[in-house]
Amino acid sequence: MSAAIETTGLSKLYGRTWALRDCSLALPTGKIAALVGPNGAGKTTLLHLGVGLLDPTAGSIRTLGESPRENAEVLARIGFVAQDVPLYDGFRVREMLELGRHLNPSWDHDFALDRVRRHDIDLDQRCGTLSGGQRAQVALALATGKRPELLVLDEPLASLDPLARREFLGSLMEAAAESEVTVLLSSHLITDMERVCDYLIVLSAARVQVIGEVEELLATHKVLTGPPRDHVAGADVISATHTDRQSTLFVRITGRIADPGWSVHDVTLEDLVLAYLAQPTASALPGPLGGNARRDRLEARA
Amino acid sequence: MIWLAWRQHRQQALVGALGLGLLALFLILTHVGIANTFTSTGLQSCLSAPGGDCGPIAEVFDRQYHGFQILAALFLVIPLFVGLFWGAPLIARELEQGTYRLVWTQSVTRRRWFSTKIALIAGGSLIGAAAFAAIVTWWTGLFIRADDNRFSPGIFDIRGIVPVAYTLFALALGVFFGTLVRRTLPAMAATLGSFIGVRVLMTLFARTHYMAAKTVSAPLSVQGGGFKFGYEDPAGAWILKQVTLDRAGAIAGPGGGFDLNFLNARCPGLIPHAGALPTQAKLASCVREVGLHFITTYQPATRYWAFQGIESAIYLALAAILIAASMWLVRHRLA
Repeated sequence: MSAAIETTGLSKLYGRTWALRDCSLALPTGKIAALVGPNGAGKTTLLHLGVGLLDPTAGSIRTLGESPRENAEVLARIGFVAQDVPLYDGFRVREMLELGRHLNPSWDHDFALDRVRRHDIDLDQRCGTLSGGQRAQVALALATGKRPELLVLDEPLASLDPLARREFLGSLMEAAAESEVTVLLSSHLITDMERVCDYLIVLSAARVQVIGEVEELLATHKVLTGPPRDHVAGADVISATHTDRQSTLFVRITGRIADPGWSVHDVTLEDLVLAYLAQPTASALPGPLGGNARRDRLEARA
Repeated sequence: MIWLAWRQHRQQALVGALGLGLLALFLILTHVGIANTFTSTGLQSCLSAPGGDCGPIAEVFDRQYHGFQILAALFLVIPLFVGLFWGAPLIARELEQGTYRLVWTQSVTRRRWFSTKIALIAGGSLIGAAAFAAIVTWWTGLFIRADDNRFSPGIFDIRGIVPVAYTLFALALGVFFGTLVRRTLPAMAATLGSFIGVRVLMTLFARTHYMAAKTVSAPLSVQGGGFKFGYEDPAGAWILKQVTLDRAGAIAGPGGGFDLNFLNARCPGLIPHAGALPTQAKLASCVREVGLHFITTYQPATRYWAFQGIESAIYLALAAILIAASMWLVRHRLA
């Protein structure tokens, strides 16, 4: 399977702080991936490295198979919406789309116009006077008008009210479906992500902590409740809370939970993310970095 | 990319063109009056006739337009405006407002983005500055004919081709500091300070050395009731230094004068008693004996265009270095 973004040992140092450290990951094409993590975990750094806005301090990053740095061919295949949705405030909406047309060889003007019109945005309005939701829609139109293979969005929901958030995600999915694009979007709003994403990357303290298919992650992570105990056969305990009479364990399933004393509950994506973020040393990684996870998965299938 | 650069900066271009137009209009209108006075005072006919002393008439002419000296100061700082209002915000605004993340992720490399912006704004500045320099050179022409020296600092700087070089230099300074400090206002402050600093230092300490200065020596003598130099300032030259020396080369006084005590030390009894003046005859013989002569160090008028060329080349080279450094910063140091 080819990767939309592939990094090896990717690191970025700002002054004396590692914004990203030894990050190796591969985002398969065709996914709609959520990049989540607390503020300052390195989400924006990773995305900026991915679209060529930053140079890695160490390691390498390949986007759509090539280095994105000052690479017009690759840039033409990536749509990017930066945090805070920068637009030229003095430009009319129509002119922002003109900008897209003039700067991108693969530009689909009708597609972009259609996207903006669908949201009742006046083409003659100045971008500086748009509402947060409209702004995000114009930026999305600009990013998707390129007809990119990869769409990268940095906290596109942050400034939106819940209604606009829902509408934006809806139109994002619509756009993604129309052009079979790989999407990578960062957010700290995990609940919103759960509805639309089928792939998850959790960044914590400059490192990748969890990466994988949402379906698979949800299938292999459970909450167990039962009499007070610390360990459980057939699962790794990620976190545990105990009361006098009962233990609640958040586990990654590695085999079969044979003990009938445990009652097994499904988890939500939010539970999963929060459980891992609370345990910085725990991780769920595929490949050489997380050999356990892969072996576990194979065992689980067998 | 050209479309974007024009769309982003057309307003500045318009304001610049409007300002230049208003200035041109003002200069054209005032020039009518200046030309009239030039004729009506008889200065024109005096200057056309060979050998006449037109000094007194020129003084009358100059006094009438004394107020316009303020304009010379304006002409000196106009290139700086280009650096402050076109150069400094060019890159800094994109960095400040975050729009670099938008434009650098379109299908355009930073190299092309930067070069297109620079080419457009430098081209506009070049055209504007050339027009500005041409009209100022024309407008100041009659003052130069009256008695101003086009080579002297302050006047040299607002005529000919150097204003164009200053403008491009100011622009490059603005772009460079905008790229370096990444914020418009501090970049404007740095541009202001460094432009004035470089201009003043270059004018004071570098320009005089572009070519080896010439010197002319003239003996000083006392005849009848006054001094005679046997000398006239070289016409249209840039006079760097004038001093009176004795035969051994000791300084007798500044400019065309000398210190009586200096002579008294060499011709004892020149001054009969403290506070008294020497007699003409004694003074004349002492001056002759000591060998007073008047030294002028200058750059001859024929070098005017060579100096214009050298000065322009230096500022254009500085501008090119600053632009290259800015390009490097944009490609390798920003974000």
